[in-house]
Amino acid sequence: MNPEIALLHNYLIVGAVLFGLGAVGFLSRRNMIVMFLCAEMMLQGVSLSLVAFSRFHNDFGGQMLVVFIIAVAACEAAIALALVLMLVRRVGKLDVAVWQSLREDNQPEFEEEKVPEEPSEKPEAWPSLARAGLTAEVSPEKTDYRRKP
Amino acid sequence: MIDSQWIFTLAVLSGAVGMWLLLPRGGRGGWPLGVPLMAIALGLGASQLLRLEGMESPQRWVAEGVFFMLAGVTVVSAVATVTLRNPIYCAIWFGLSLLGTAGLFLFAGAQFLAVATVVVYAGAILVTFLFVLMLAHPRGRAVYDRSSWEALVSAATGVVMIGILSMTVADVLTLHGEQGGALVTAAEAAGPRSDGVLADAHVAHFGAELFGRHLIAVEVAGTLLLVALVGAAVIVAQTKPEQQ
Repeated sequence: MNPEIALLHNYLIVGAVLFGLGAVGFLSRRNMIVMFLCAEMMLQGVSLSLVAFSRFHNDFGGQMLVVFIIAVAACEAAIALALVLMLVRRVGKLDVAVWQSLREDNQPEFEEEKVPEEPSEKPEAWPSLARAGLTAEVSPEKTDYRRKP
Repeated sequence: MIDSQWIFTLAVLSGAVGMWLLLPRGGRGGWPLGVPLMAIALGLGASQLLRLEGMESPQRWVAEGVFFMLAGVTVVSAVATVTLRNPIYCAIWFGLSLLGTAGLFLFAGAQFLAVATVVVYAGAILVTFLFVLMLAHPRGRAVYDRSSWEALVSAATGVVMIGILSMTVADVLTLHGEQGGALVTAAEAAGPRSDGVLADAHVAHFGAELFGRHLIAVEVAGTLLLVALVGAAVIVAQTKPEQQ
């Protein structure tokens, strides 16, 4: 196989893997920020495919599209994070399952999965050391002026 | 030789079960079995990317090695982004995935895009994500971080989609490969050139194309950025009077 076609083939498969993994994350995670990160990862997979085609066809069009993908992803991130901040201010959590009322009507009831409690962090017992070394000799008039009258 | 369809199918099966095991499933430890299964899936997939007949010189070996390192970093970081519980770790692994993607852009000759990805995506968008995460203080111990919606169905859907796309690409390009004829032939891509995407003055040609042919789109994108900035500020500012 021609090395250029082999390179295109490899890049398209890596782009497909990034896109698919982003899809898995977007469909399954419940944290709003992680869902958005996975959407951004899907955009990166598409950018990779566009750059591969741009090199293969010797045309700058694919790279131009990637520039605009980056610009639009920045806008989308700004507005999405503003909205997420607003939502978090209302309920205090980043969970997307809190907003169940936005679903369609004929869906089954959502049941919170019973998750075993994780052991909370116990405060570590820090080792205590005896005081060692010399204390400095300070003359009394040097410390007297610090006392407020 | 085992048919490549069977290798892709095996990779999809192993990857689907591995992703299901690795996704947060409420405290059940899926790491001991999930990581080897994902490694098997990625290894089977990588075996389809390696072309042994094109390897004449050490330069080709080094080039293929660099590509596999970059692609490996990108894909492993992507798996970590999707499956870790603590959302801050997810963001950091996503940053590593962005660096891998920038390296792949550089490997393909898109120098400006490589630097733009690192500066804009990893340097601005990811940092904004981290700011919002810091405002919400997640530590990955909440219920919604340790469980996921329908882990098996979503893992199967995503990995089967990867398999379908990969098999289609492999089929189409193997067919074309036998007929030859890339638009950038290997001989042209190797040496120094003066025009086209792989030119020596790549950024100059990139800028000429961007501000020549796509000037109106650039202006519209600038306006879009301004509107998004104002919109984000207005959205966040509107909640403040309610709290007072």
